[in-house]
Amino acid sequence: MSNGEMTGPIVQVRRRVRAAPEQVFDLWTKPDLMARWMSPFPGAVDCKASADPREGGAFSLVMSSAEANREVSGVYVQVDRPRKLVFTWVGPLTNHVNTLVTLELTPVGEETDLVLTHERLPTTAIHEGHTRGWGNILDHLAETIGKAAD
Amino acid sequence: MEAWADGPRMHTQKSATSQAGRLDAVFAALADPTRRAILERLSQGEARVTDVAAPFAMSLNAVSKHIRVLEASGMVARQRRGRDHVLSINPRSLDEVDGWIERTRRYWEQRLDAMERLLLDLEKDSKRV
Repeated sequence: MSNGEMTGPIVQVRRRVRAAPEQVFDLWTKPDLMARWMSPFPGAVDCKASADPREGGAFSLVMSSAEANREVSGVYVQVDRPRKLVFTWVGPLTNHVNTLVTLELTPVGEETDLVLTHERLPTTAIHEGHTRGWGNILDHLAETIGKAAD
Repeated sequence: MEAWADGPRMHTQKSATSQAGRLDAVFAALADPTRRAILERLSQGEARVTDVAAPFAMSLNAVSKHIRVLEASGMVARQRRGRDHVLSINPRSLDEVDGWIERTRRYWEQRLDAMERLLLDLEKDSKRV
């Protein structure tokens, strides 16, 4: 994390993407583009997206097939095109518990460094700053965190 | 956001019923700085309740409530030895946290693969025009 302090269980994924930050950012906030890649169900499943990309605005992604409906939704916390997007995330992956996703985009030549951070802990705890260290617990967790994919 | 602060009480009741419920209880337990500090203390080795409570500027009763949340989540076990109650950390509870981390990582890796495929498609489309 940017402040160098671990605050809880997090997942971080990095990518170098062959596109400008603006173009990558729009993939996350324009419903017609979101619907084309965000659904974990490929092919025939119908995916509807909506987004109101401003702080406090909501987004949702509804994926429906003959068998089931799945919905992912959240609220934008920070919208700073094209550098940073922070939003809450609730869905099957998170057990329908609120989580926080931070997307950071940094231009590198004609490409973009993408860093996605998904935090399971409540933001209240994150912002309290009472991070008295996680010691061995985080050492243990760190084994599965931070294996960057290029 | 405040709904999360009440999480532990809600989740402890169903903590034993399902893996999802246990995972919620574990994350709810981790959400509090006092409970994280208790876990950090116990990660150095087992300890008596009174010793665990000593460093905190709160009553033994208040610390005991946090300890009960940790017990309900399955992260902490309590043993009675004579007059002492000895607490220890349950390393298996951390495996569930690891499980969530692995699932979440896989999810985003796959989504970002799809995002990059879309970028290639969009690039091809723009060249065609």
